[in-house]
Amino acid sequence: MTSAENRLRVLSVFWLVFLLISAQSISIEFARISNLVLDDDDSHNGLPNDWDGMQVVCFNFPQGHAPEGYNDGRHHLDPSGVEKFFDPYWNETGLCVGGFEEFGNGLDLLQAAVSAGGHATVMEYTEYSGLGLMIDSFGGINPCEALACADDWSSGFSWTLYHNGLKSTIGVSALPLEGDSVVTWRIDSW
Amino acid sequence: MFDAHAITISPVAMLALNASLLAFIGWALWRAEQRLTPASEWLLLALMGVFAVSGRVLLDPIPNVQPVTVIVILTGVHFGASRSIALAASIALVSNMILGHGLWTFYQALGWSAAGIFGAMISSRIYSEGSLNITRLAMASALAAFAFDWIVSISVLHTLSPELLPVYIISGIPFDLLHAAGNVAFVAWLAMPITDLMTRHSQTPSRTALRELAS
Repeated sequence: MTSAENRLRVLSVFWLVFLLISAQSISIEFARISNLVLDDDDSHNGLPNDWDGMQVVCFNFPQGHAPEGYNDGRHHLDPSGVEKFFDPYWNETGLCVGGFEEFGNGLDLLQAAVSAGGHATVMEYTEYSGLGLMIDSFGGINPCEALACADDWSSGFSWTLYHNGLKSTIGVSALPLEGDSVVTWRIDSW
Repeated sequence: MFDAHAITISPVAMLALNASLLAFIGWALWRAEQRLTPASEWLLLALMGVFAVSGRVLLDPIPNVQPVTVIVILTGVHFGASRSIALAASIALVSNMILGHGLWTFYQALGWSAAGIFGAMISSRIYSEGSLNITRLAMASALAAFAFDWIVSISVLHTLSPELLPVYIISGIPFDLLHAAGNVAFVAWLAMPITDLMTRHSQTPSRTALRELAS
């Protein structure tokens, strides 16, 4: 047996073991590349390709304070609540419900997403007449219970609405939508 | 009542057990081959089929690593295209009777048959004057891994639209790489002994291997 054959034996085993160990990470990375919109300037950045041009609602929970089963990356559910893709590398934790079309109002879209999201998106809110809705919790995650708010309310945290990547100046019940709106809820400080 | 089979073992231990079993089967088949008279072509192909099916079933826990592709390529090199097609289709059918038979069996048989035909086509470059070119065979087997996986991927067109096929194929590249690395490892460790066995029984000169299919 030649030294070249011996070298091939050793190298082939080395590469096989390396690939076996890293197969899962490589496979997830390939799935991300082939399945996701990867464009920082697009509000659909990081969402599945087939949601491009459609309406999506995302719920981002603070690390360590996500509903059960949603603490390990970002899950993507279709309008019927079936998980279609999981991205463990996304830099926010929670879930997105997408693939909606033709909702004209933010609250109607939110209610459809909440209905699909199950226990992770159960919504509690307070309605202020003339001011619209104030979200108290999604999936049982109340910002001031998960994160520390000042006793005198001089500072604290609340669920905040973003529309196409920008903080919304309009409440969800009055928010007009576009055909490809991405609505995001995350906890911000005030 | 005792449940003597209620033993839980870890996946790694199971894999080690399967690898040992495959080595044992390989050794037993090698011993059996020594009792064959030279030029027992179909008996040797049957032994190769048993080893390939055992390898595919026992290595099933490792995604896409199995000895079938290399065995059908070597069969194409030493015995010609028609015998490699017969062996490839039989291996696909028999192993899927254990692993699960369905529409994909047809595409796997097609993919491995293509690998065997490829082996027959390049036989003179792989094996000439009694010498096996391991480097060329390793490259051919790595290439065949991708070709096989992409042929099998075509089966998704029964359920997905054609525009999703490239996405499906790109997502599968890590598994194609595993298949290719596995093939190269099998070539490095098994191609020489398998070639020794095959040349003892081959009645089909390699240069006529492909022509035989066309005639």
